[in-house]
Amino acid sequence: MSEFATLASPYSMPVAPHGDVDLSDSSANARARTLNQFLAGVELKAFKIALAALRHQDDALDAVQDAMLQLARAYADRPAEEWKPLFYRILENRIRDMQRRRTVRARVMAWLPFRGDDEDEEPDPIAQAPSPDPPPVRKLEIEEAMRALEKALAQLPRRQQQVFLLRTLEGLDVAETARAMGCSEGSVKTHYFRALQTLREQLGELYV
Amino acid sequence: MSPNTEPSMDFERRARAVLEEDVLRIDGRIRSRLNQARQAAVAEAARRRPALWRSFALMPTAGAVAAALLLTTVLWHRQPQGELPVAEGVHSTVEDLDLLADGEGLELIEGWDGSFYEWAVDQPDVSGETNG
Repeated sequence: MSEFATLASPYSMPVAPHGDVDLSDSSANARARTLNQFLAGVELKAFKIALAALRHQDDALDAVQDAMLQLARAYADRPAEEWKPLFYRILENRIRDMQRRRTVRARVMAWLPFRGDDEDEEPDPIAQAPSPDPPPVRKLEIEEAMRALEKALAQLPRRQQQVFLLRTLEGLDVAETARAMGCSEGSVKTHYFRALQTLREQLGELYV
Repeated sequence: MSPNTEPSMDFERRARAVLEEDVLRIDGRIRSRLNQARQAAVAEAARRRPALWRSFALMPTAGAVAAALLLTTVLWHRQPQGELPVAEGVHSTVEDLDLLADGEGLELIEGWDGSFYEWAVDQPDVSGETNG
């Protein structure tokens, strides 16, 4: 093996923890690399979309992680151009499952005399690390716009919220969004139109 | 572009810009977790055999299923419609059994009268004329 293999970026090659991967199979490796690139391209947006629906970072991370694994297990052999709607369809299902589970949990917890909390969790030093910041004025503007958008998005019905994010943030077209949401194209158009209407009413001053 | 859709497009552009900016500001902990999740997913995909190899591995099973289906189809189509006729061989076997079970039949066989049968065969068919 050449020395370049050992110097390869962790983003460029899948590292299998088990010894049962046939590395001579270039087709499988090429497939894995393509999947890696695809997931790297969608993971941050997917996290934001899951976060908008679940409003909890760890839940959103779990949902994205499950969607990634499910895509890899069930659909890695499908043509790469089909992955995006499939991935968001899986994510949508995971979000719905988690919301249902959360509703059940909330009902059960309501009967308990006390609830556990996360106060004993130590802060994660990586989480405390600052991200690359824009200039302070610009930062304030962005934060204000983002807060307003997040607030307005949170008030949208879930389907409208997801359609808006898939269309606007992820850039899926109507047909792809319909496949991802498991509904008709007409339904996507209706949800998107209503979401736009509501958001423009609420954010008009900030966004126009 | 119509003037009605222009503000909407403008709004979408601004919303997209804010969302994309927000995505860029996702912190290190989240990025690290997502990276780990991605590596696990890619490793999972790499562990799977490629589709072609899997299809070869499944060929015996697929062949057996196809053969069973073919046989079922052939048998299904060869089955005649309507009432099933009784096969001649089966029919004669049943008649033989009747003869064996019938005491008189056995007596006839035991008291074989060859000349009578030879005579009967030589007789012209006159059943239509004599009946009634």
